[in-house]
Amino acid sequence: MLSTIVFLPLLFALIVLALPKNWVRPAALGLSLVEFLVSLVMLARFDPSTAALQFVEQYPWLHRIDVSYFLGIDGISLWLVMLTTFLTPIVILGSWTAIEDRVKGFHAALFVLQTAMLGTFVAMDAIFFYLFWELSLVPMYFMIGIWGGPRRIYATVKFFIFTMAGSVLMLLGIIYLILLTKDQLIFQVGGTDYRAMSASLLDLYKLRIPFVEGDFLSPQSLLFWAFALAFAIKVPMFPVHTWLPDAHVEAPTPGSVILAGVMLKMGTYGFMRWVIPLFPEAATYYADVFIVLGLLGIIYGALVAMVQPDIKKLVAYSSVSHMGYIVMGLFAMNEQGVTGGLYQMLNHGISTGALFLLVGMIYERTHSREIKRYGGLAAVLPIFTISFFIITMSSIAVPMTNGFIGEFLILMGAFKYNVWMGGLAVLGVILGAAYMLWMFKRVFFGEKGELASDTKHPLHDLNAREIAVLAPLIVLVFWMGLFPGHFLSYTKTSIDHLITNKSNYELTVQNARPAELPAQAQTGGQ
Amino acid sequence: MNIVITLRDLFSVTPLIALFLASLIPITVKVLNGNEEQNPAGTLWQGVGGLLASAILLMTVYILVHDQEMKTAFGGALIMDGKTVAVGILTLLVGCVSLFLMYDNPATRGEQFSELVFLTLNSIFGMLVLLAANDLIILFVGLEMMSLSLYIMIAISHEQKLSKEAALKYFVLGGVASAILLYGISFIFGAAQSTSLAVVLERTPELIASSKLYLFGISLALLGFCFKVSIFPFHAWTPDVYQGSPTPHAAFMATAVKAVSFIAFMRLMESRAVEGSAALLNVLQWMAVLTMITGNVAAILQNNFKRMLAYSSVAHSGYVLVGLIAVGLEPVNGPLTLGLGSPAAVIFYLISYSIMTLGAFAIITLFERDEDASISIDDLAGYGRKRPLMAFSLTLCLLSLAGIPPMLGFFGKFYLFTAAMDQGLVWLALWGMLNSVIAVAYYLRPIVVMYMRDGEAPEAAKPMNATRVALVLCAALVLVLGLFSGQLYMLVEGALNAGPAAPAPTSAGL
Repeated sequence: MLSTIVFLPLLFALIVLALPKNWVRPAALGLSLVEFLVSLVMLARFDPSTAALQFVEQYPWLHRIDVSYFLGIDGISLWLVMLTTFLTPIVILGSWTAIEDRVKGFHAALFVLQTAMLGTFVAMDAIFFYLFWELSLVPMYFMIGIWGGPRRIYATVKFFIFTMAGSVLMLLGIIYLILLTKDQLIFQVGGTDYRAMSASLLDLYKLRIPFVEGDFLSPQSLLFWAFALAFAIKVPMFPVHTWLPDAHVEAPTPGSVILAGVMLKMGTYGFMRWVIPLFPEAATYYADVFIVLGLLGIIYGALVAMVQPDIKKLVAYSSVSHMGYIVMGLFAMNEQGVTGGLYQMLNHGISTGALFLLVGMIYERTHSREIKRYGGLAAVLPIFTISFFIITMSSIAVPMTNGFIGEFLILMGAFKYNVWMGGLAVLGVILGAAYMLWMFKRVFFGEKGELASDTKHPLHDLNAREIAVLAPLIVLVFWMGLFPGHFLSYTKTSIDHLITNKSNYELTVQNARPAELPAQAQTGGQ
Repeated sequence: MNIVITLRDLFSVTPLIALFLASLIPITVKVLNGNEEQNPAGTLWQGVGGLLASAILLMTVYILVHDQEMKTAFGGALIMDGKTVAVGILTLLVGCVSLFLMYDNPATRGEQFSELVFLTLNSIFGMLVLLAANDLIILFVGLEMMSLSLYIMIAISHEQKLSKEAALKYFVLGGVASAILLYGISFIFGAAQSTSLAVVLERTPELIASSKLYLFGISLALLGFCFKVSIFPFHAWTPDVYQGSPTPHAAFMATAVKAVSFIAFMRLMESRAVEGSAALLNVLQWMAVLTMITGNVAAILQNNFKRMLAYSSVAHSGYVLVGLIAVGLEPVNGPLTLGLGSPAAVIFYLISYSIMTLGAFAIITLFERDEDASISIDDLAGYGRKRPLMAFSLTLCLLSLAGIPPMLGFFGKFYLFTAAMDQGLVWLALWGMLNSVIAVAYYLRPIVVMYMRDGEAPEAAKPMNATRVALVLCAALVLVLGLFSGQLYMLVEGALNAGPAAPAPTSAGL
């Protein structure tokens, strides 16, 4: 099941490359919908009552080190997988007219990216995970570099090198963990014990890594920072966020949507799946640092967003601010905070994804993103205005929208962690409302700006395709805002398991078969 | 010493004999033809045939003399062990690809193609001797045979000034390196009273503690190899020589010559002298770090594609040196270890490095219209549109060099640094990782230029099908072997026979 979900898009990439040019867009849309349907089937068969990994597939891959092809899904990754499969058809439909050059290559890159992102969320082996994590850079690098704006090359190389810089340290950390397994763990097969090097996450969870409070050089702290830096860059957290505005501004609309919608979540997912359960003592000890950094991100992102003259850049900085909330929720490490963090990941994927799509739609019409050239759009583009308004409400977390649930839970978690931090985070909410509403006022209300009053190029309201792109997102905004239980019931067991067993977290495999002798033991002897 | 040459000795060297005889075919044909150059395709296939025959014989010999006592030949002067065979086959295959490149390149496919094939095969002959050397004198002889053929190869190919300069530079500096090596060997002989590598290796732990003479000797010998594999501060000749040489020769030097020299280097490191001498260990570690930094930082500044690859090859030497230090620290036949086995990791890295580097050099050949061509990275502009398959193949090779999974280069680094960290070289591994980030900056540049800038991409007019095949083959191998790297690693380890015994079921208190 999971193999199909992860690798189907790779097959689609090949199909798209083989098709004649005119067929590419409809075919890509159809294929991505097939992928979404397959993931819906998985959702229907998902068992929310257990925290164990489901739909597990595990085969040996490398031998001397037990690295395996290991896929599994639980409540933490379920919705991220759904988000990925859900956003891809929307992105394809949304880029129908935006991408004209090298259409085949674009859709192939998109599908390869989808495989990489899905793989990151469901790979349960450290090296296998790292493979997808790094692989995701390559198609995004091409997407920004080939189809991006004028400063695309600078932006894409910066994106690549920043992310790579974080992840090589993580690789070092992974190798260290793998070497620890042979010292610490004893594997049992059929009554006999043996030692091996394993990269399976389930084995890594069993490691007890020495931690000394206050000693930065104790192994657990070093490993914690090696992993945390990689994820912090991806999130991106203040102060390593500087690649994000560049990448977003230069990326083509679909690239921005995928980047903001899914790729940033790879970082926060990493905190949940890797950092907190693997290094619980260090994570608790350094939680303050991350909460403060999250807070700084919230306020800094909001303040910088406020003064941006460019709508897309404003949305990009709003991402920095929103991702700050998520990190804050995760490091509060209580049920509300983590649940809110996970929920906010989905919300941000939907609302910011939608904002980038909306910015892209208006950019296609006017070829301008400067706020001061707009104004009075509400009179000219009513449907566009209403859509933008709903998404803005979701972004600033007005009740009844999805954003409210996520932010409320995070703030509750933050207050529980520390009243002062929670209080400061509330300030961030006000700032968030301020920059979004101010931007909304300047773009849609007031006197008609030069673009709205341009009689030579009258603006057309959204067409049927664009409405079809936005409708599912808007439905989700309300659905997730009014019935959060529909979604949270799937994640509750896993999050409870994470919070209650934080210090000795372990994952099991649902319906695990009796262990087979791993490849290393079979082939290792010469 | 009274040495009796048996049939078995001769059988062990059949790959060498076959290779030498094959190398005579092209020039003999030429002489019999009244010094008329025959059809280059014929010459090419004679050379490739010789290389492949030698590779097959090497396999056969290895399979038939597999057990430990029978591996050595000529009274222990030569050894046909896993390292010899694994890297020997790699060298022969790299030689084949190099011949394909020489066949297409205007600088090498001239009036003297037959002589060139003869020299290439003889250089590889020297490499096989160097690989199989189990005696310091043989080691030196092999090294010289390899190098002398190379000097001439570079010198005869071009009418260009740069290549004469490169040949001379290579010759002089290579001579210095050989002298240092020989000087070191003389000290080793003085201290150990034997040139047999087996004896030297066995006596190292006692000698390194007791004899300053021996320490001096082995240090000099190691430095001699540092020259050959371009380790900082002995790397300065590399960019000039690679840039001045015809591209196929540069590719050949960057891959085969380097891989083989590293194996000889490894045989010396297996003496575990670095464990006995903290000073030597320190010096080598710093040299590794500085090699990586120099290579990578200098590569960023290059605009000439070949020069960039030359610096990249310097940087990769630094990574391999990290692995070699791990080899030097690894317990030999120690108790049941669960480690990776550093020699296997190093050889795996050499295989991966050779394949991807060959691919990268192949692209330069594709752009060389005439003998004096100098290809800058900007020449690739627009290539992604013009030749999607070639551009994609180059992209795979470059991403592999940069160490992006699932390409082979990633797994090379993964095994290498795991082996290094297993020997406690955490900070060396850290430097290696940080350097891979620097390296990304210049490996991405050709990709940026190919896909993201518009341009003519002035390819050579002559269709170079052999080179194209070579490039696509390298790219395919980089991807496929990357996905099946576990199997490749087990193959290498099986050949080395150095793998730890099965994690034998033991009681928990192991």
